[in-house]
Amino acid sequence: MRIVVCAKQVLDPDAVNNYALVGKLEIGEDGRSLTQASIPRLMNAYDEQAIEAALKLRDAGVDLTLTVVTLGTEVDDMLKHAAALGADEIVRIDVDPATLDHHGVATALAAHIGRCDGVDLVLCGRQASDDDQGVVPAIVGEILGMPVVTIARSVDLIDGGVRVARVTPDGDETVEASFPAVVTISNEIGEPRYPTMKAKMSARKKTPTVVEESELGIPSDEISRKVVLTTQYVPEVEGDCEFIDGGSPAEIAGKLVARLRDENVI
Amino acid sequence: MPSVVVCTWSAGRDTLTGGDEEALTIGRQVCAGLDADLRLLAVGGLADGAAGRAAELGAQAIDTIDDAKLGEMSADVYVEALSQYCAAKKPELVLFNQTFDARLIAPRLAQRVHSGIVMNGVGLEARAGLDPDTEHEIQEDHIAVTTSAFGGDTRTVYALHGAETYIVCLNDNACLPEPAPSATSPQTESFTVDLSGVEERVRVIEKPKAEGPKLEDAAIIVAGGRGLEESGNFKLVQDLADALGGVAGASRPIVDDGWADAAQQVGLTGKITKPALYVAAGISGASQHMVGCSAAKTLVAINTDSDAAIFKHARFGIVGNCLEILPELTRAVKG
Repeated sequence: MRIVVCAKQVLDPDAVNNYALVGKLEIGEDGRSLTQASIPRLMNAYDEQAIEAALKLRDAGVDLTLTVVTLGTEVDDMLKHAAALGADEIVRIDVDPATLDHHGVATALAAHIGRCDGVDLVLCGRQASDDDQGVVPAIVGEILGMPVVTIARSVDLIDGGVRVARVTPDGDETVEASFPAVVTISNEIGEPRYPTMKAKMSARKKTPTVVEESELGIPSDEISRKVVLTTQYVPEVEGDCEFIDGGSPAEIAGKLVARLRDENVI
Repeated sequence: MPSVVVCTWSAGRDTLTGGDEEALTIGRQVCAGLDADLRLLAVGGLADGAAGRAAELGAQAIDTIDDAKLGEMSADVYVEALSQYCAAKKPELVLFNQTFDARLIAPRLAQRVHSGIVMNGVGLEARAGLDPDTEHEIQEDHIAVTTSAFGGDTRTVYALHGAETYIVCLNDNACLPEPAPSATSPQTESFTVDLSGVEERVRVIEKPKAEGPKLEDAAIIVAGGRGLEESGNFKLVQDLADALGGVAGASRPIVDDGWADAAQQVGLTGKITKPALYVAAGISGASQHMVGCSAAKTLVAINTDSDAAIFKHARFGIVGNCLEILPELTRAVKG
């Protein structure tokens, strides 16, 4: 079977978080991008977990070809990481994602997937950790006419399709869909594996297949932006914390409960 | 007249669902700038108390879509029904409370009706032209959506311009519901759809078994994080929650480690809560977690690190070990 994973390169969200926590996250001169060069760029963790979901199927003995596709210009390191993890083919669509909106990104990905023969399953991370939008997989499914199953904890094969455990607010839901289908993967799938040193070495020699936008045959009005990121800023939090201290844990606990009762919170 | 439509599926409920009231409030505010009508669209039937509440919140009309196929949640069927509605009515803006189901339905609908889509909205504004301080491509009037990004570390503002219809999902703690200056008396109109050609392609094999009280509806939540040090200590969180008549929650790291259930996870990829009291024990206060609890009326933080980000959000703070403090709090509450 053939699986395509859609991956996105993002700024390391932990590094962004650390800068934000100490009030040192900088916004670039364009007023909308994070430009600190010291923030590493890496594969969106949920997308790495989508690769992990495919590798789990391979571990279970499924004979599969895994393609990892992304958009961008400077993404070869990320794609080589995907190859080291076990991707048979790595593909870069040569478009600057900053020139597209999410619909445009999904349109380009769907156009490429639509040109590939015999894709059974498209796996995507549930959302990207930079913009948190999480709309691309659903739009890809809609364009390709595939059923979309979101927020999977596990993906197993059944005859002609997949069985997916979805993490819903009310607990897990088990669903099935026939191939071809789109499934989005959540962190509940588990920690992604590390590539072996040997796999890393051989992935270094792998070069991504480059697909030009013109090859995809997308009419320009199909890909023109309807949603434009204009501004990004760091929200200010006004601290107003009353610290309860002095004495033993029992005394501190007693004081807090008294304060909460004073203010009719409990 | 252009319209802003707040879409809900509330059949079987007594009134609007949590988050719909916030969406109507934000919708009403943006209607003023757009010179548009505010409509409520109830898919799969109108809850008994919903019309009254929608009137208080300023809805000028209520549309309902009823069909036997809409009785159960089905993304394929709902997307089809909504796309027929959008094709006929051409609303300027369709707003959803960003529920689990809306996260799937809204982007699919957007593609179906060739609209633009933005998720995680926390604010919405009709703007004439653009802020001259920054460079932008769009110079015309547009709708600006403020959203949460990087797990809450930043806010991003998107300009919506050029499509006939836009779809925005709003976080349900985006604002506090605020009644209209004067209540409206909306007429209810039924919109007829033809769903004969659509069958759900995703088959439900086993439904989720909702267990216990829901975090989203809880008035009191006690949540634990890595500061609990080991799995067995989550019981201290549960004990205090029980003593307060509340519900136990968890940060993502300890859910990933299996100390608590995924259903107990509060935050960006878990539950968005808005309790009266939120006690965060051994939680550092990463933005991803705060997305799920920053709407709490009173937040109590217990952490050994006096510089922990959680204290910036807290009304009351205790710098100390939650393993020592939690049992004493439980005792003090019971006593």
